[in-house]
Amino acid sequence: MRKKILVALSLLVIIALALAGCKPKAAEPIKIGFQGPITGKWAYEGEGMVKVIQLLMDKVNEQGGLLGGRKLVLVTCDDKGEPSDASLCADKLVSEGVVAVIGSYSSTCTEPASAIYNEHNILHITPSSTATVLTTKGYKQFFRTCFLDDRQGLFAAEFFIKKGWKKAAFIHDNSTYAKGLAEWAKKYYEEKGGTTVLFDAITPGELDFTPILTRIKEAGPDVIYFTGYHPDGGLMVKQAKELGITPGIVFAAGNACNNPEFIEIAGKDAAEGVLVSTEPLPGDLPYPEAKKFIEDFKAKYGEEPASIWWLMAGDAFNVIVEAIKATNSTDTDKMAEYLHTKFKDYPGITGPILGFDEKGDRLGTIHKFYVIKDGKFVPYEE
Amino acid sequence: MDILLQQAINGLTIGAFYALIALGYTMVYGVLKLINFAHGDLFMLGAYMGLTLISMYLGAGMTSGIIWALLVIFILVMIAVAIAGVIMERVAYRPLRRAGRLAPVVSALGVSIFLENAVMIIYGPRYRMYPKGLIPEIQWNIAGAQVTLMQVLTLVISFFLMGALYYFVHYTRLGTAIRATAIDHDVARLMGINVDAIVSLVFILGPALGAAGGIMVGLYYGRINFVLGWGYGLKAFTAAILGGIGNIPGAMVGGMLLGIFETLAAGYIPQGGAWKDAISFFLLILILIVRPTGLLGERVVEKL
Repeated sequence: MRKKILVALSLLVIIALALAGCKPKAAEPIKIGFQGPITGKWAYEGEGMVKVIQLLMDKVNEQGGLLGGRKLVLVTCDDKGEPSDASLCADKLVSEGVVAVIGSYSSTCTEPASAIYNEHNILHITPSSTATVLTTKGYKQFFRTCFLDDRQGLFAAEFFIKKGWKKAAFIHDNSTYAKGLAEWAKKYYEEKGGTTVLFDAITPGELDFTPILTRIKEAGPDVIYFTGYHPDGGLMVKQAKELGITPGIVFAAGNACNNPEFIEIAGKDAAEGVLVSTEPLPGDLPYPEAKKFIEDFKAKYGEEPASIWWLMAGDAFNVIVEAIKATNSTDTDKMAEYLHTKFKDYPGITGPILGFDEKGDRLGTIHKFYVIKDGKFVPYEE
Repeated sequence: MDILLQQAINGLTIGAFYALIALGYTMVYGVLKLINFAHGDLFMLGAYMGLTLISMYLGAGMTSGIIWALLVIFILVMIAVAIAGVIMERVAYRPLRRAGRLAPVVSALGVSIFLENAVMIIYGPRYRMYPKGLIPEIQWNIAGAQVTLMQVLTLVISFFLMGALYYFVHYTRLGTAIRATAIDHDVARLMGINVDAIVSLVFILGPALGAAGGIMVGLYYGRINFVLGWGYGLKAFTAAILGGIGNIPGAMVGGMLLGIFETLAAGYIPQGGAWKDAISFFLLILILIVRPTGLLGERVVEKL
């Protein structure tokens, strides 16, 4: 009796396998991977990214999928924001047979994962890791839809020149990020004809910035660009007002000051009119693609997307879809070649994607200046 | 010229805070030969207690008579932190009085870590803000330099407290007892001085001054966090050594000089802002090479 059942079962398995083999190839799904912090300290970002990608993926599938009717499926892996889990995730997604991966959130996770994807030649796009080092390793199939800090520096420099501010003071706080941003801004500003009257740093966490502010006052720039973090920035703004530097000299700050605490520390009066360059909030994106997507997102999840990085993940997904469509394949080399050379002026959710440079970094900029009015950040209008 | 004047005012204000805190280090060192690393954290505790009391006062809906309320809060916080200082001495230092010099220093580091973490757990790790506009935002333009009312108050209160301490130590019986204890515990005891009480007194005076500094830092800069005491403590300790540790006028001079050094470094040397601390500590080393006992000397005997 038991033997008969075994035989019957084996037969069933063989038939099932045979049938599976006969299935038309068109129906086999295309696997797209996502790795990011779905739990842990950045869970908020990872969860949002998955929501955005899933929404866009459902749209593509409703319209009949890709490559002649093949559906897309999302394979996610939670790296918790830990570099050690990031490598495990990359191994897992590789063994799942994904054709492309979006992730991870932080640069420390993206770095080890990118080495594994490179080894297995899988298209890899990070939506939010901005460390310069990531695109300096010569990986041909690695891209990002976020911008490096030099783009923000370029944006700020162009803005200052456009406003007719010919002399600038750049102040950072000696951290890698802030110093980098200040150096980029200074470089572009000088290339465009501006004069740097002062380039110096403060000590983060300190309480008294009057010595350096007094020096700035003496140097007499048209604008101060502070690239450090908001606790120090807020205090500098307060003391600049007390020393009578603002509002005569414009105080502008980088995206690390984009925090309500900045205004709280500076005080409403002193913060009035201060400019902050940053990636826009999703709700402030002026592009029709963005407005439409935010509507769709609200309809499905009942809330607005809260972070620009979620939308960057959406753009990463869109870029993968475009690459598959245009090359009519899921071959990594073909897709990467396409993205490097032919992919131009795509209307992304986070703004036009002008293309990718030879390292895989996104061209152009989406940064905006916000101005503080009545204790709130509002988009700067001419 | 107006820039130099402005920098001098900036430097004096920074220096006044260093001096107030440095007094706590120097008095404890004078009497116990102990470097009380937890002193900076008592200063931080003062800033937080001040915030709590001011918030309570404003929370009760009272806004009139804020100046008198601040005065009362100042005194209450100075008393509270002085009590904390006395408890600290009883619990962490007195049992180790005969244990050599290393054990109390380690104990002081322990108290410092305890205080920082306790404040972090109670008040949270984020920056806390003092309410704005408690002191009227009046400012004057003196020969092109901006001076705020808060700056003037800071300097006046600091100098008043330092002056009062100097008078107390030099012209009262208790002050004489402190100086005698600093010279020799055993001989002081033979003269009928209660050494333990004098040590407690020192742990009342130092922390009370530190607490006053803490509230003023909160009122002046408006932003505090639980590691505040570390940065200020290090600078104040440096100021105490610069002036000659164990020496009260030395701590005042050292604090003011360190504040002015820093300001001049940040204000006049290219890239000086980034190198400010390096430059001031380099100057400290130079001064100590020439005068190893600090500017005014560390001979506690006559000077304290």
